Order: sequence, then C-alpha cells, then structure tokens
Amino acid sequence: MRETKLWILSLSCTVLIVVLLGIHFAVMHFTPVFYGQSVEKARSFTELMARGRDALQMVVYILLLAAALYHGLYGLRNILLELPGSQGAARAINGGLLLIGIVFFVYGSYVTLWTFTH
Amino acid sequence: MTAVPEKTSHSVSQPRPNYLGVGGWFYAGRYSIERYLYILHRLSGLGLILYLLLHVIESGIRMQGAEAWTALMALFTSPLFKFFEYVVFVGFIFHALNGLRLKLTELGFFLGKPAQPVYPYDSSLKRHRPLTYALMALAAILIVLGASSILFK
Repeated sequence: MRETKLWILSLSCTVLIVVLLGIHFAVMHFTPVFYGQSVEKARSFTELMARGRDALQMVVYILLLAAALYHGLYGLRNILLELPGSQGAARAINGGLLLIGIVFFVYGSYVTLWTFTH
Repeated sequence: MTAVPEKTSHSVSQPRPNYLGVGGWFYAGRYSIERYLYILHRLSGLGLILYLLLHVIESGIRMQGAEAWTALMALFTSPLFKFFEYVVFVGFIFHALNGLRLKLTELGFFLGKPAQPVYPYDSSLKRHRPLTYALMALAAILIVLGASSILFK
C-alpha cells in the first residue's frame, strides 16, 4: 500500500511538472515565441530578479522544484532498488535519496525566496 | 531488492537465469520497440535528474551578484553549452511523451478489451502500438522544432 501511495504521488507530480515546466520553458527558453523578447535578455540578472519578485512565480518554482525532485528521485530509487543488495542497502538508498531531496529542496527554495525578497 | 540467483551450468532443461543486471537493460534478447523505449526512458531519466540537481546549484549563483550571474550566462551561450541544452531538451521531450505512454498503459488505456486467445493471436501490446508510434512521431517533430529554436537562434 505504501508503494502504491508513492507511485500515485509520482504520477500526480508528472501532471504538475508538465504544467509548471511548460511555464518555465515559456519564461526562460522560448521567450522569442511567447514574449517577443530575446533569450539573453530574459536570462539577464535584472530581468531574472524582477521576475523573481513576483509571488506567483515564487510559488510556481517552489512547486516545480518539489514535484521534479520527488519524481526524479523516486525514479532513481526504483532503478537502484532493482539492483542486487541487502535490506540494509535498500534502507541506505531510501535514506540517502530522501536526504538529497531535502537538501536540494531547501537550497532551491532558499534561492527562490532570496530572489523574492531582493 | 532483487535476490541474485546462484550461477548454474546451463542445460536444455534449465531455464535461463532471469537476473541480467545492468547489462540486461541493453540486451535481454527478443527485443521489440518497447524494450528500446524502456532503455531510453531510463537513460533520459537519469540524465534529467542529474541535470536538475546541477540546475538547482547553478540557479544559486545569482546570490553572488550580477557579475557572477552574467559571467555564467555568457558561458551558456557557447556552442558546447547550446548543444548540452539541446540534449536536455531532447531528453525531456522523449521522457515526457514516453512517460505519458507508460502512464496510459499502467492505467489500462489503449490496451483494448480482453479477448479469447484465438489464433492468430492478438496482444494488448500490438493494440497499443499505434499510440506508441503517434507519440514518438510527435516527439520527433518537437525535437526538430526545438533544434531550430535552441541551436540556431
């Protein structure tokens, strides 16, 4: 049951990723198509900080970070757990990936909040 | 975790060991298109998670100020980084559309209705295959369009 819940959460994350990454692509990578602005200008420090002060953008990026980290590390966990090893190794994989996820989520969220407040 | 079976000498009556390790990703015999998509899905997924972690670290450079950020962005305009960016884009498009196919399959869509096994045998895999071809064709179109947007701008 626990594994089913983890899988459903990963499945839900994919939907979130498609929507939020679509927004990220439009804002950062396909600006000539969506905003008539060069990619270089969109990536400039001034533009980046100006966009980062928007509360909606902050929420979008924190949600995207959480969904992408969960989906990616869940997939990596599935691959690693297929490899031969003991129950102890499985626990180490679960704990290690959870730790990586938390560290990157905290750091990424801090960067986003820093941008929002500067 | 999967237990590794002990190695035994082969004979006609003994089944082939079903644990092939990481090598089994690349060769497990009797390949179909779905098997290649499985390998590509794993490889693209591993590449994307590595990219995500690097991307989070790279995003933090902004906290060092405008100069450090501008220098980093200048690096990303080099042809090598443009190529890497395109590889990430290709990996994402493939992973997303093949992932959509996998989720539809796991949820039971596009597999057809169960039927009696009457010769010539049909399979859910064959009934599912038009969707596979359609999604991979869409991936190919987006990958080509992305090349014009990322590589040649």
